[in-house]
Amino acid sequence: MGKGLAVRFRSGLAACVAGAALLAGCGNDRGEPSPVGAMVGGLAKTAISKVRSIGKPQAAPAVTPKLTRADVEKYGIPLLRVVVKARGADALVTIRETKGNVVTWTTTDGTTFALNDGVLIQTRGLGPDLMSASVPTVADLAVDQGSHPRSYFFLGEDDRTQRRDYTCTMAAVGKETITIFDKAYETLHVTEECIRAEGKITNDFWLQGAVVRKSRQWTSPGTGYIEFEKAVD
Amino acid sequence: MMLPSPRQTVLSLFLALCVSGSAAFAEMTKSLNINGTTGVIDMPSGDAQPDATFSFSTAIIGPVTRATLSFQITPRLSGSFRFQTWQDWNTLFPADPSKFQDRSFDLRYQVLTEGRYAPSLTIGLLDFTGQGLFSSEYIAATKTLNDRVKVTAGLGWGRLGSYGGIGQPFGDRPPLAVSDQGKPNIGQWFRGEAAPFAGVEVKLNDRWTFKGEYSSDAYTLEDAGRGIIDRDSPFNFGFEYQKGQNVRYGIYSLYGTEVGLVFHLVLDPKTRATGGVMGAAPVALNTRPARSVDPEAYDEGWVTQPDAGPILRANLAKRLAVDGIIVENLAYTANTVQIRIRTGRIDAGSQAIGRTARALSHVMPASVEVFEIVPVVNGIGASKVSMRRRDLEELEFAGDNASLLRDRVTITDAGPVPSNALGDEDLYPKFRWSLKPALVISEPMKGDVGLRLSAAYDIRPGLVLSGSVYKPLFGNVDRSGAPSTSALQPVRTDGSRYSKFGDPALERLTLAWYARPAENLYSRVTLGYLERMHAGISGELLWKPVDSNLALGVELNYSKQRNTDGGLGFDEYDYDVVTGAVSAYYDFGNGFVGELDVGKYLAGDVGATLSFDRVFVNGWRVGAFATVTDATSAEFGKGGFDKGVRFTIPLNWALGNQSQNTFGSTLRPAFGDGGARLDVEGRIYDSIRDYHTDALDPEWGRVWR
Repeated sequence: MGKGLAVRFRSGLAACVAGAALLAGCGNDRGEPSPVGAMVGGLAKTAISKVRSIGKPQAAPAVTPKLTRADVEKYGIPLLRVVVKARGADALVTIRETKGNVVTWTTTDGTTFALNDGVLIQTRGLGPDLMSASVPTVADLAVDQGSHPRSYFFLGEDDRTQRRDYTCTMAAVGKETITIFDKAYETLHVTEECIRAEGKITNDFWLQGAVVRKSRQWTSPGTGYIEFEKAVD
Repeated sequence: MMLPSPRQTVLSLFLALCVSGSAAFAEMTKSLNINGTTGVIDMPSGDAQPDATFSFSTAIIGPVTRATLSFQITPRLSGSFRFQTWQDWNTLFPADPSKFQDRSFDLRYQVLTEGRYAPSLTIGLLDFTGQGLFSSEYIAATKTLNDRVKVTAGLGWGRLGSYGGIGQPFGDRPPLAVSDQGKPNIGQWFRGEAAPFAGVEVKLNDRWTFKGEYSSDAYTLEDAGRGIIDRDSPFNFGFEYQKGQNVRYGIYSLYGTEVGLVFHLVLDPKTRATGGVMGAAPVALNTRPARSVDPEAYDEGWVTQPDAGPILRANLAKRLAVDGIIVENLAYTANTVQIRIRTGRIDAGSQAIGRTARALSHVMPASVEVFEIVPVVNGIGASKVSMRRRDLEELEFAGDNASLLRDRVTITDAGPVPSNALGDEDLYPKFRWSLKPALVISEPMKGDVGLRLSAAYDIRPGLVLSGSVYKPLFGNVDRSGAPSTSALQPVRTDGSRYSKFGDPALERLTLAWYARPAENLYSRVTLGYLERMHAGISGELLWKPVDSNLALGVELNYSKQRNTDGGLGFDEYDYDVVTGAVSAYYDFGNGFVGELDVGKYLAGDVGATLSFDRVFVNGWRVGAFATVTDATSAEFGKGGFDKGVRFTIPLNWALGNQSQNTFGSTLRPAFGDGGARLDVEGRIYDSIRDYHTDALDPEWGRVWR
């Protein structure tokens, strides 16, 4: 311990004692921050988020719908619109990386959605995340009828991996014209009804050939369904 | 263009759920009574709480308050610890103190779960190992008639058999001898007068419930005995309000004369308050180009570059710092890398391992195929997780990738530090310090809140000089300074004297050495001022293979009792003792961990400690312990023998932040000097178990988180 260190230590200590030592604690021992400080910080955040949620309606914020086609295209990058009803979230997300058929989209604050040819396989950062999934291919979806298995994996009770296995049946709803940011797309709307002994979920896909233009896909027990719209290719 | 912060939104969503109480209940809540155990109002019921429910209840019944902590240990077995205070205790006996306090334990077991026609049936013991002021036994049956009405009937003994008795089916109830206080009152169980009780619960809507009961408790102690409650009627009734999933209030008319109020906080350790593991997504795994596409990338020439090591280590340290992971050192060949890490604030070893693997995939040249990740605790390797880089690349987006990866990963003994390991000169030697608020418990329900200044000097891996000074600010510790009247050496019962005179006090000043003498063996030697009451030397050796449920340990200590002023001296007591224990730890699976220690304790008594904890993957921990030694109950005092319950709640469970901080406490009904163990820091088992297969496997899913 050199002289410089000792001096720094002393001035640090003085600042610490003078400051809010009682609540936050202080030190250079970052491995173990003060529990009380952490709690106060956490509670403060909770309070803020509560205020925010009170301050705005529970429905999705009306930011994105106001955007025009020109607005979304001006960035010149692919954009995906993601609506998470359970969170009252509606956002445009960008590509973080592409690996084979899997495209991982991300929000600016690090919530990601990985889609395999448009079929959701993973989320991170939502809390009740979809950790992994065995999913059908687009070819499996683009059929009038037919069935396939589907499996979801989450972190369930006590953070243990929890598995849900479904048997899914495809059905075509019919041709539909959908509009995404003022642009119309001719699509084939298909539904994927997935059943297991304990319950049923239904995913919806609006296909443009082999491209999933729009979808509404179940994610996890805590998150429910997420809607995706491929806004800019 | 960003989502509202996911953590805040999810948190607010769950708060909204909790606060609005909009959650619909498919079935009637298995509610708690004013004693903090499953029941009607004052009477127990045949129900049990959902597995692992952890509840805290406070009830005010006129001049009596009851604070109870209950835990559903298994789906059928539950236990409670109660702290009861009687105000106006001197109403009839003015010479007595104005209030009286008692602590008690309960156990209850659900013999039958409710069926279509059959009721649930529970058998229980109240205050079965205390002074007997609240001692009762009961059997209770409960049947839900439809989704709104539930009825309970039962038979009680002891206090619960004191009103409206129907005879003594199992003979007289012998009085509890003073010398038997604190021991299980087996001789009294189901003896004496038995009396029936009954109750009804009507769910009015999702929030409100009406309860009514006929009580078999005569409140003899409070009414005839002390004149503090005037008991007029056996009928109690009132309403309960359920606020969300975690909070329930109750207000009742009790015994015709009193108003009762109760507050229950009901937590489910298995379910995070935030709904899931929070925190931003990890960085993507970096996938190497195929060897056929870019053979140059796989060139092994980089190994010979002299500056490769420091650059790689610095890059890894930078990437891992985001998650609070510290790189102890790095060793590599062209095909293998071994990284030793301190996991920092991530609360799951598997998640820290996954994040480290992701960082390695970005930093290590393509020719490196095998990742060996060694979590380090107290400077020593806890285990070694080896994985092939190709498996990570293949499985990143596969369904069930966690199980598939686990099948291909090996977890083995950490082994010695490789000879070519590159350490970080910034880590050793290193001075760390902190100043934090701290709570020091001197005896049951008495303690001080103060400030603790801690400092540590990491000399080299596994060798640390550390100490702490504590300054109490306020508390309720007995400040008389009177010496303990214990028949044994006051190795613990003089605790309040240490609080009074040691202000501030040097709590600890130790040199600790952790090492790995051989495969599967872990050692610790701690020398110095080990704790605020004792100083000396403590040595420990633990055998624990990474994939074994069993661990065996041996500990040997020599200590002298310190002066009460918190200084360096020993002349006040002139007491030294050799203590030690042989310990066996066993992980029974599903989070149940048992420990048996047999040895000699601080007051020179010889005996054994049995402890049992339920450890949750997310860091929750609830347990109980009991120590029986050759110290007589007269020597030990009121408690008979040392016993208690303990719990730990991880703050990130409630708040969702990345942190290993916890909130917890050990509660004892009474305390004495028998069965006391040296309170030395850094015992090995709990610190390394987190990185062994019994703890890593249940949480392995988080490797991809």
